[in-house]
Amino acid sequence: MNERFLMTRRELLMAGGALALGALLPAGRARAEAGKLVAATYPGTWSEAHRNVLKPAFQKRVDAGVTQSIILGTDQVARLAAAKGQTPPFDVAIFDPPQVLDAVRQGLIAEYPAAQSPHYAELLPVYQDRWGPKVSMQVIGLAYNPERIRTPPKRWDDLWDPQYRGRVGMTALNSQLGLAFLAELNRLRGGSSSDFEPAFRALRELLPALGAVAANLGAFATLWQQEQIDIAPYNFNFVQTLKAKGVPVEFVVPETGAVAWHTSLHVVAGTTVPELAVQYIDTHLDPLVQAAMMQPPYDVIPTNGKVALAGAVTQSVAKTQDALAALRGVDWAVLTEQRSALIERFNREIRV
Amino acid sequence: MAAPRAPLTLPLTALFAAGFVAPLCVLLMLSLAAGDDGSAGLTLAQYARFLGDRFNLSVLGSTLLLGAEATLVCLLFGFPVAWVCARAGARWQSVLIFLVVLPILTSVVVRTFSWIVILGRQGLLNQILLGLGLIDAPLKLLYSEAGVVLVLAQVQMPLMVLPILTVLSRLDPNLADASRALGAGEWRTLWRVTLPLVMPGIIAGCILSFAASITAFVTQTLIGGARLLYLPLFIYQQAVGANDWPFAAAVSVVFMIAVLLVVVLLNGFGRRYEKHV
Repeated sequence: MNERFLMTRRELLMAGGALALGALLPAGRARAEAGKLVAATYPGTWSEAHRNVLKPAFQKRVDAGVTQSIILGTDQVARLAAAKGQTPPFDVAIFDPPQVLDAVRQGLIAEYPAAQSPHYAELLPVYQDRWGPKVSMQVIGLAYNPERIRTPPKRWDDLWDPQYRGRVGMTALNSQLGLAFLAELNRLRGGSSSDFEPAFRALRELLPALGAVAANLGAFATLWQQEQIDIAPYNFNFVQTLKAKGVPVEFVVPETGAVAWHTSLHVVAGTTVPELAVQYIDTHLDPLVQAAMMQPPYDVIPTNGKVALAGAVTQSVAKTQDALAALRGVDWAVLTEQRSALIERFNREIRV
Repeated sequence: MAAPRAPLTLPLTALFAAGFVAPLCVLLMLSLAAGDDGSAGLTLAQYARFLGDRFNLSVLGSTLLLGAEATLVCLLFGFPVAWVCARAGARWQSVLIFLVVLPILTSVVVRTFSWIVILGRQGLLNQILLGLGLIDAPLKLLYSEAGVVLVLAQVQMPLMVLPILTVLSRLDPNLADASRALGAGEWRTLWRVTLPLVMPGIIAGCILSFAASITAFVTQTLIGGARLLYLPLFIYQQAVGANDWPFAAAVSVVFMIAVLLVVVLLNGFGRRYEKHV
């Protein structure tokens, strides 16, 4: 019965030929689309601001097609690493600090050619970086549902308040939100970069209060929309975007201060359209574009010195760029080094 | 007759080789790689690391258990549906089959999100139960294992119903009539005549829904969240979150072997049953 499945040598050669042909196809496809840019974007605020503001502004400048693909930072690094040596799956990456560290280490992004980017010099010095300009700042604090929680929470410790039992949310550590919250919690509870026990002890105490731990940031937004959770650490921008959609959610900076980090755009190493990539990134630095993105519902924090801070940022987070710069950062180098160990520990200890 | 057919299978063979066997070989090599780039020789260390840790084994165990539970629920609900479908008149049968297949026609993400709306704390089900005064506080349906099992069972239901239905509708109705004529009641006929004959369909349905349930990354993560850890999310975390590709590859291989063992076991059970009948 098995003979029928045996192939002759000629048939095997033909199959091999088909395989080789298949391997050649993707390269041909990429060349054919040389006039088109593929840019990664984050879910939520970012994808909306990039689609509605950045894309039209870019296409006014350059006559080129652009596809914006929503991919989380860690997924972008994984995809670029998997495609290393071939045509990369996208040309512009959007990263938070941990991904920049990973990508630079693995040679996945190119140095940013600042000389070809007219708006780069307008950035405040703190937002300039040889690997790619910082296009905004992400700030995390406490988010809550004002319809179910009448008195706004004041500090992180309020998450442990028994009255919120079953309604507290969190994200897993594959998001910067999850990691940054863990680090801040660890700092407040007296831990250090070599000892995360205080943070994990606090999280274990929080277990019965947790209504949900979202596996990723996209699922986290759904939790708010479905009112599965009423209080949780969250990004300022995502709260603004959800609010604009009519979801009852408010943002407060905890008494101990907000935690912030920079978000940056990068030219992917090996891209076939480096000039388009730089044009795209430079468009994001344009003061007009940044001013438009600072409008609701995006409320994206500007990094260009010519854009004066205004709107919701100044009400909820900081009045001036100096005040923004003074926000507490996160030691991403230390966290990134321990990320895999922390994820593993989180898996083991934060279970049902 | 067999010989001229062989070239017809070539395109499929090539596709299979390119899309399945080749990546599988890459996966296997990656899982054995000692260094990041695989240059430092081969090692079984990643396998030892996974198998030597009780926590990892518990994740594997709970994933297989989840599959078994979802398959069981699928079977409990799916068999009667297939039964009704098979007995219905021609017009009703096509309507019923359409309803059974309907879930497959929408994306699994859409189906899963609609379950979030139904099962959420402020969701449809909790609102109804609260409104009827059956409960005082919302039940936690989402982000619980019961929720994941329920949603998986619904999402994979067609995979169970269709194979059973195929076998059921080919069943000779005279057999049931003969059983009744010889004095057996409805239940006895079902138990002693119909079920054994339908067993190949049931086994096929079980294998399909089991394999689909345990690998259902989207449903598991959206309904289960990060606190219920199953192997697909675990592999994703290791590969993407921790950038540990060799370990993720080794876990994938272990997972695949475990699933294959279950399938072989089920198949063997089916064969024995066929002989018995």
